[in-house]
Amino acid sequence: MASEKYRELMDEFKKIGRAVFEIGLNNSHSGNMSVRVGDRILITRRGSMLGFLKDSDIIETGYEHNDAGISLASTEVNVHRAIYHGTSALAVLHTHPVTATALSFVEDEIVPIDVEGSYYLRKIPIVEFEFGTGSKEMEKVLPQVLKNYKIVMIKGHGAFAIGDFLEEAFHYSHMLESIAQIIWRVRAMGVDSKQFERPYFHQW
Amino acid sequence: MAGWMGRILRVDLTSGTVKEEPFVREIWEKFLGGRGYGAKVLWDELPAGLDPLSPDNRLVFAVGPLTGTTSATSGRYSVSFKSPLTGTISDANSGGKFGVIFKKAGLDALIVQGRAPKPVYLVISPQGVEIKDASDLWGKNVHETTDILLEREDKRGSVACIGPAGENLVLFSAIMNDKDRALARAGGGAVMGSKNLKAIVASGTLRVEIADRDRMKFVTYEANKWINAHPITSKGLPEFGTAMLVNLMNEAGIFPSYNYQYNQFEHAEDVSGETIAEKILVKKTGCWGCIIQCTRKTKTSRDEGEGPEYESNWSLGPDCGIHDIEVIAEANYECNRLGIDTISAGGTIACAMEMTERGYYDAGIRFGEKEKLIDYLHKIAYRDGIGDELAEGSKRFAEKHGHPELSMTVKGLELPAYDPRGAQGQGLAYATTNRGGCHLRGGFVIGRELLGVPRMIDRFSPVGKGSHTAILADFGAAIDSMVVCRFSTFALSEIVWGRLLTAVTGVQYEPEDVMEVGERIFNLERMFNIREGFSRKDDTLPKRLLEEPAPLGPAKGHVVKLDQMLDEYYAFRGWDKNGVPKPETLKRLGLEECLDG
Repeated sequence: MASEKYRELMDEFKKIGRAVFEIGLNNSHSGNMSVRVGDRILITRRGSMLGFLKDSDIIETGYEHNDAGISLASTEVNVHRAIYHGTSALAVLHTHPVTATALSFVEDEIVPIDVEGSYYLRKIPIVEFEFGTGSKEMEKVLPQVLKNYKIVMIKGHGAFAIGDFLEEAFHYSHMLESIAQIIWRVRAMGVDSKQFERPYFHQW
Repeated sequence: MAGWMGRILRVDLTSGTVKEEPFVREIWEKFLGGRGYGAKVLWDELPAGLDPLSPDNRLVFAVGPLTGTTSATSGRYSVSFKSPLTGTISDANSGGKFGVIFKKAGLDALIVQGRAPKPVYLVISPQGVEIKDASDLWGKNVHETTDILLEREDKRGSVACIGPAGENLVLFSAIMNDKDRALARAGGGAVMGSKNLKAIVASGTLRVEIADRDRMKFVTYEANKWINAHPITSKGLPEFGTAMLVNLMNEAGIFPSYNYQYNQFEHAEDVSGETIAEKILVKKTGCWGCIIQCTRKTKTSRDEGEGPEYESNWSLGPDCGIHDIEVIAEANYECNRLGIDTISAGGTIACAMEMTERGYYDAGIRFGEKEKLIDYLHKIAYRDGIGDELAEGSKRFAEKHGHPELSMTVKGLELPAYDPRGAQGQGLAYATTNRGGCHLRGGFVIGRELLGVPRMIDRFSPVGKGSHTAILADFGAAIDSMVVCRFSTFALSEIVWGRLLTAVTGVQYEPEDVMEVGERIFNLERMFNIREGFSRKDDTLPKRLLEEPAPLGPAKGHVVKLDQMLDEYYAFRGWDKNGVPKPETLKRLGLEECLDG
């Protein structure tokens, strides 16, 4: 369990975890999240339920090296750590947004067509992995993509978002799902959503 | 060459020679320009322990790859030097149009060293640099000097110069450009004065080459959209100028007054941005090509000029217990003419006022004595009487009279207008800035703690502040090296700046590359200071902020919890417990030159 001195951050984990679950960005046991504080990382416990986090579900380990906490940490702790090493992010949130994940099967990248999504994200890249959970390949590729974008979709899996705060990463994650839902609903009306994309956003 | 002009000139005033330096592209890609390039030159060329007022100190005038382009807020330039006030590495940057004309004269940087045997000024143009006699200008104020040189050399040019304060080696004298724009902090004016260099006239109309014009057009369009949408850059700053912060900070209980004895001011409304707009504003204007337009042209019943900005308004006003906006504005105009840093001037006078009030030393001025304010600025600029002591800054003044605790400084530089007892991260930022007590170089954490940019964080909590402060400081170092305005960062993130740099230079700068450039510069500056003998002991705050709880308002009862934040900050940065960057950190940042330094 994380040190009591991180009480405020632990409370933030519970708040964001609950919100992520309630709006359906994760199912009961999926997803994980972390923050970097100095040379420490706080991350959710392997198998924890983000919607019902307890203090004991928030694990503390090293930014550089493993310590005892590592055995309890999320399966994807190495991916989180690699993202922190490769970017200046202070928070990482991994979610499984249903519509965006569905869209990832049929798109090479997601270009928002709604105003707010365009304003904030412009383009969300999609990457594909042979083994898409906590793999070495993810450790290598995701930090590279997140050097350039605040959120990335993994085809058929879910999203990794970064920010300076958990709330910021949550914002991008929720926005991605909203973007995907709007695209999906436009298409459900029998309209080609591509006509609403701004072509230059593909170059962003 | 796209982005950079590919030209660096070095002037040795002792010998009166000018030579062209090799443009090493790798260095400019690693440090961008401005503050970053200045830090590199100072690290490479200044021996430890150098007297900042000796001929061997350098003045590195530098612009960046975005200067003079259509990029938002890019009408700026930077000057780097070893500070005579703090003994640290220092830089200051300024808007107006000097930076743009400097670049249109074909230069990326001008390195000035040596000491001229008599006063001189420089004229820079695409043809090179001329050194000219300035005997007739010595003693003239900033406005007079500027008018004469524009008339004499090029009416469409631009002038950076010093006033009497710089000539008289006031340790917090400024370099001024375009009359009222200041490279204010840490005594660049005194360094210029010590070299007998009165002014630089820039003249030129060259164009900056852009690597990808289509991409530049698109990214600039997007950037301007963000600036026009953000409430701070589209409404707050244009409508009220930087003084919009007065009421916000006062309500939050972090608006210092009476030399930081209090954290609110009972007459804040009298000096607010709203009051300025109502009583003395003539018109709004801005730097070259800027769409924010935060500059205030103002007029009192007796005088007119620019400003006051938030910090100047505070230092010459509430920090001295003064709330007459006309007197504050006039004191600000006078600082501009004399070439003085308003923050340090006000902070030093406020220190003298408290010294007098407490009966420690009679400096002849007390809080609220507005009628003496401008006279004291003159005394400082001309080192007349008590002004000779005050011209050394509040730290030396307070130490001399046995009460160093009354100097509200970090590393000898007077603090600006945010009481960190109600904004813990800003306290850490003050303590860790490389140029001393500054609200910008250590990270403008107020943005997160009070303004919610990009999110609001708990301002009273020390947890996580080490990490937030470090990344803000790094981002700021990159911004100062492009060289663009800090206000743009309310609206534009490192993502936009990376794309703009890529479009202009043709070099791929991903957003994280921007952050890494900033981190590299910040660490190089840190290594400069370590070489000068600075360490963890200097990363501290005035005793008042660490031990005396804030007396008023929402911040009442709080002190700055510095040690806890400092440990996290060092750990985040990859520094040891004494604040020294570890070898692996320096290697990661490509600063191998520091490993033996």
